[in-house]
Amino acid sequence: MAADAVSISDGASARRCSRRGLALAGAVLAVVVLGAAAPAPAATPRSPPATIETTIRDPWVPPELRTPPRSPAPQGADLRAQVERKLKAGFDRADVDRSGTVTRDQARAAGLGYLVKHFDDIDRQRAGAVSFDDVKRFLRGRGAQLD
Amino acid sequence: MFWMGVAVPSIAPARSLTTRLGSCLAVALLLAGCGGGGSGGSAAPPAPTFTDAVLYSSAATASLPGAAEISAVTHHQLTLNGATLHYTATAGHLTARGLTSNAPEATFFYVAYTLDGANAATRPVTFFYNGGPGSSSVWLHLGSYGPKRLVTGDPATTAPTPFPLVDNAESLIDVSDLVFVDAVGTGLSEAIAPNVNLNFWGVDADAAVFRDFVIRYVAANNRMTSPKFLFGESYGTTRSAVLADLLESAGVELAGVILQSSVLDYNVACGVIAPIVSCAGYLPSYGAVGAWYNLDNPNPATAALPVFIAQMRTLAGNQYDPAVTAFLTTGAAPAAGLLSQLANTTGMPVAGWQTHFNLDPGFYHANLIPGTLIGLYDARVSAPIGSPLAIEGDPSSTFLNASFASAITTYLNADLQYTNPSSYVLVSNAIQAWTFTHDGRPLPDTIPDLAAALAQNPQLKVLSVNGYHDLVTPFFQTERDLARLGPLANVQLRFYLGGHMTYLDDGSRALAKADLAQFYHGATAAP
Repeated sequence: MAADAVSISDGASARRCSRRGLALAGAVLAVVVLGAAAPAPAATPRSPPATIETTIRDPWVPPELRTPPRSPAPQGADLRAQVERKLKAGFDRADVDRSGTVTRDQARAAGLGYLVKHFDDIDRQRAGAVSFDDVKRFLRGRGAQLD
Repeated sequence: MFWMGVAVPSIAPARSLTTRLGSCLAVALLLAGCGGGGSGGSAAPPAPTFTDAVLYSSAATASLPGAAEISAVTHHQLTLNGATLHYTATAGHLTARGLTSNAPEATFFYVAYTLDGANAATRPVTFFYNGGPGSSSVWLHLGSYGPKRLVTGDPATTAPTPFPLVDNAESLIDVSDLVFVDAVGTGLSEAIAPNVNLNFWGVDADAAVFRDFVIRYVAANNRMTSPKFLFGESYGTTRSAVLADLLESAGVELAGVILQSSVLDYNVACGVIAPIVSCAGYLPSYGAVGAWYNLDNPNPATAALPVFIAQMRTLAGNQYDPAVTAFLTTGAAPAAGLLSQLANTTGMPVAGWQTHFNLDPGFYHANLIPGTLIGLYDARVSAPIGSPLAIEGDPSSTFLNASFASAITTYLNADLQYTNPSSYVLVSNAIQAWTFTHDGRPLPDTIPDLAAALAQNPQLKVLSVNGYHDLVTPFFQTERDLARLGPLANVQLRFYLGGHMTYLDDGSRALAKADLAQFYHGATAAP
């Protein structure tokens, strides 16, 4: 396959390239206007060259963020506690009336699809609403590592 | 490749004179049936080329007033292990909408490869993306397990350029449908008003809008019951951990997550935040790189590398890491015996270890061999300092850029019959404007996200793919990060010769393809 595009490795070149791209689009348009009167010759339209706007590559963070962590990376019980906090935060977003329980409709409105999908399995009392403990019990029953 | 059909574009809401005129161009081309190119041969019908006339921008403040879900559809075939596979390529855009608001957020450019005649209900589908943040998916798309790949000759830098694009004998298309998707503000993906690209340039917002793309792709293509996989690389693994949690929470169950060269916790990545945290996660990688350049003493043979690496893990964990911790906290000088042991096992002379005891990859790659710069992405690649390949700071990256940049445009135009007046943005400036805050920390630690995904879906399988010679996301650090999850049968790790993009190495790509096929088999088997 022939190479018909060039790579760009700095911002200035990228801007030049963008302008070239616009010019190219204009040129192709001119062909079509002509083509309305007479069939255009068979030619594959071309996109402008691809660009690379920065040579910074992953992973990278700005210098001001390069500080040691304030707390150790959680594992074991600490990690399980953080997981539970994350799950609880999602549950609480759905519990808009702060009742401590979530209905199927509340779960759906909050985008908690997993709760909607498994609602009947979680709501074993057929109460129409489930507590976070109900959710945890269900997840533990499926094999989740939760305290 | 032969042309079978093309999606008829609807006209996207106009944002400029160029766009409006361009839409007319697309229709004119289709009606005229002009076009051509590709490799169909003289007997093939004329190949109308689909033109999406929307002008996409990667600027932080850019947004489109709206977007149409239009795509170019072409049909192809690939011979894999002696069997001819027919597949469809779909290149175009889908609109991600807010999970609860249903408001348009962004238009995602993607290229999907789907096996013809397969049962979509049971066939796996995998979403691929690179990292950055701010990178398009071009590296995975044209370098890894798609139906075509660029011949890079990695780790040599003697391959002809631009690299030829060839049928990929290690494509995963026999195992899974493959969807390569570009992050917002990269490739040809852009925010939709009132959002601007910058709104999606953060750990949480990026993962959320990717979730909404996955949900849209699944709905638009009736893939609700298909086993779903994520395949992210580098920052793409950070994204995958957060995304897996968000998808599981949204009720989209994943079958598997493949982590290609991971950075799961930025807070302990000495190569990212500087040697103010222990670089012990790098030590086994230095051992492998020293061995590659025959600088270790004794130097292990390639076949003995796994045994040597096991010894390096022990050295790193039991001796080097405690000594570095003491050095960082109290300034305690390391024992002379440890310094000579480090020199013998990494190739970096004792003098280097004396001045840089907490050895960061920046110093290692510039000083291991006097006058030579070795790669960070793939430390097996090297170039003389001051040479064109070394001028951007990483010969293993510089060697790839021009060929990948030229190939994506040609491939989209000629093979996938997709043209557009915008420049495809391989790597955007998003990384410099990224919001790294996540879950109460200024830098993301995504192990809790992965743990939350596993808690919601204990059937979820995780495969960590690692390169021994990657000085960007070192494998031992990844092992340590994943070990925080505790002993889990559904988390596997694999190690290959090669750098960050292990798939560029011909031998490693073949080995990994076999491992991936086995992983997919295990992840889709009935429990």
